[in-house]
Amino acid sequence: MELNDKITLSLPCKAEYVSVARLTAAGVAYRMGFDIDTVEDIKVAVSEVCSRLINVSGKNNGGYEILYEVYGSKLIITFSSDIERAGCIFEDDEDGLGVSIIKAFMDEVEFCPDSRERILSMTKYIEEKS
Amino acid sequence: MSGELIVKAEYSEKDAEIFVSGEIDIYNAQQFKEKIYRIVENSTGDVSIDCSGLNYMDSTGLGVFVGALKKARQNERNIHIINIKDHIKKLFVITGLDKLFIIH
Repeated sequence: MELNDKITLSLPCKAEYVSVARLTAAGVAYRMGFDIDTVEDIKVAVSEVCSRLINVSGKNNGGYEILYEVYGSKLIITFSSDIERAGCIFEDDEDGLGVSIIKAFMDEVEFCPDSRERILSMTKYIEEKS
Repeated sequence: MSGELIVKAEYSEKDAEIFVSGEIDIYNAQQFKEKIYRIVENSTGDVSIDCSGLNYMDSTGLGVFVGALKKARQNERNIHIINIKDHIKKLFVITGLDKLFIIH
């Protein structure tokens, strides 16, 4: 499948910027043709990862990047960071709500694609209209 | 700003009704928690949370709802969630929390 466009967002690990990641996700997904309900799901999944990254970053702050890859019928969203505790960020998530939500809302999720910088990658396919 | 969180409460004889509007995420979840907990503590009856103006929430908001329910249950009271939008109700369903709350 051909990669059409790449959008990269670089954010500090600060709670006030999670809405920026969410709005960017919504803008890209809506432009690709996802329906409104699916756009909402993608926004929540993105927000869950950002929130977790901010929690594990602690007071050291640092930053992270979100890469939105637009293919013909799928959107791949990849998170990377150089913060000290990056890696399997959901490994010791106490309530597990974030993981449940991400798994339910996205079609494919790789929780620890790399051991270092690439933290999480998730894919959503556009459902073909019958 | 449409995303700004607004929490208002109205008290009847025993019960409390909370009106939530805007968005809840990691940025304002603590603020939401403090307001909701205070209202639950001040109420002697059940608490209804009207979510008709709530446009967005993620697991940080869900966590606050669960904490508030625990507080209410300690005093044998309940939390009712009313007028919640479908895409937010979905969060309660997929996490199984819809079985704990009374969702109207």
